[in-house]
Amino acid sequence: MKKDKAESLVFEIKDKSELMIDLAYSSLIYDNRIIAEEVYDLENLIDELYQDLQRETLEEVKNRKLLVDDALTLMKLAQAGEQIADAAQEIADVVLRDVELHPVLKDSIRESDIVFTRVQVDEKSILCGKTLGELKLASETGMMVIAMRHGNRWLYGPTGKTRIDPGDVLFARGPEDGEKHLIELARGETREI
Amino acid sequence: MKEKKHHSIFGILQRAPKDKWKKEEFSELEYEPVSVKDLLTEMKDISELIIDLAYSAVLFNNEEIAEEVKFLEVRMDKLNYDIRMMAMLAARTKEDAEQLAGILQVAEAAESISNAAGDIVKMLEGKTRPILSRIFQKADEKLFRVQVSSTSKACNQRIGDLKVESETGMRIIAVRRGDYWIYNPRSDTTITADDWLIVRGTEEGYEDLSKFLKGKLKVLE
Repeated sequence: MKKDKAESLVFEIKDKSELMIDLAYSSLIYDNRIIAEEVYDLENLIDELYQDLQRETLEEVKNRKLLVDDALTLMKLAQAGEQIADAAQEIADVVLRDVELHPVLKDSIRESDIVFTRVQVDEKSILCGKTLGELKLASETGMMVIAMRHGNRWLYGPTGKTRIDPGDVLFARGPEDGEKHLIELARGETREI
Repeated sequence: MKEKKHHSIFGILQRAPKDKWKKEEFSELEYEPVSVKDLLTEMKDISELIIDLAYSAVLFNNEEIAEEVKFLEVRMDKLNYDIRMMAMLAARTKEDAEQLAGILQVAEAAESISNAAGDIVKMLEGKTRPILSRIFQKADEKLFRVQVSSTSKACNQRIGDLKVESETGMRIIAVRRGDYWIYNPRSDTTITADDWLIVRGTEEGYEDLSKFLKGKLKVLE
């Protein structure tokens, strides 16, 4: 068994729950049921992780691999992550209902400090064929890619190893001036990162 | 930058709220007409900021940031109350009510997020432990603390002009200036020598930004 399995589980819960909020808000902006459904799936995953974590933490305490205080810290962090995941699911639930979204929902999220953007990558773009890690998109443009659509396939929470191909649709979160830069890069209008 | 609504509390220099805020917030708890959109925008902004603040509070073992989280949590309660009032007044037909119910559900979710943040900062009452930093170290986007040197070109410049976020990907969550804090600084917030910044982003972004803020790098690119 891996030494810090409980720690890794908590990290995954924390990381996924934050991604879920971003996905939930962007599903609202784009009235996008596919993203909203992914939030639902992630919520189920987090429930499972949370249960695994509870068992794992107890085991590690029993085997004296983990101090009681550390175990409590892990459980509390995981619980907060679980609560955040539930909240994200509530938001996604609004999108999945058969009621047209109130225009205020989109407007209020657009007016926020952080914008969500969606852009398709043109074959002329210098992003093509490169990984997110090579491009350092997040540190160069301020835009964090939270989801991608590659043909019919969706990828949520891409990593540095994820490659961008022509035709991919990127969903990203970041500041307003970063949005413009990312759109120009993806459309091939600028070649400078 | 669009003009912010009158009641937003972000980006404003404020003293770390101690015992005073509780009374002030509750005495304010009366109905005032504000648009549902403004309320929801602020709730959404708080819901994103408050998690970063809560994690920063436990990671840096900082009581003052924890106080701000508690303050925002109370503020969120008030906003949620106001938005319910406004939504009820706005509903005329069944269709209105259906759409407005969606808004209230999102507002409720934003409030749940702030409650989770409140639970996170309660961990400060115990001791913060190395296990926390180990978990935070694993993330792609991490939280960092950095002080601005008087030799840095950032001094007396506005955050918006420096384009901190689009040049480095680092988002400034809070600024500490002497006894004061500025939470979620806006693009017109000026950076001053000796400010402490709490920022969130990748390690590469942080490397550039910290060199710049320490005066080792003349420009941000």
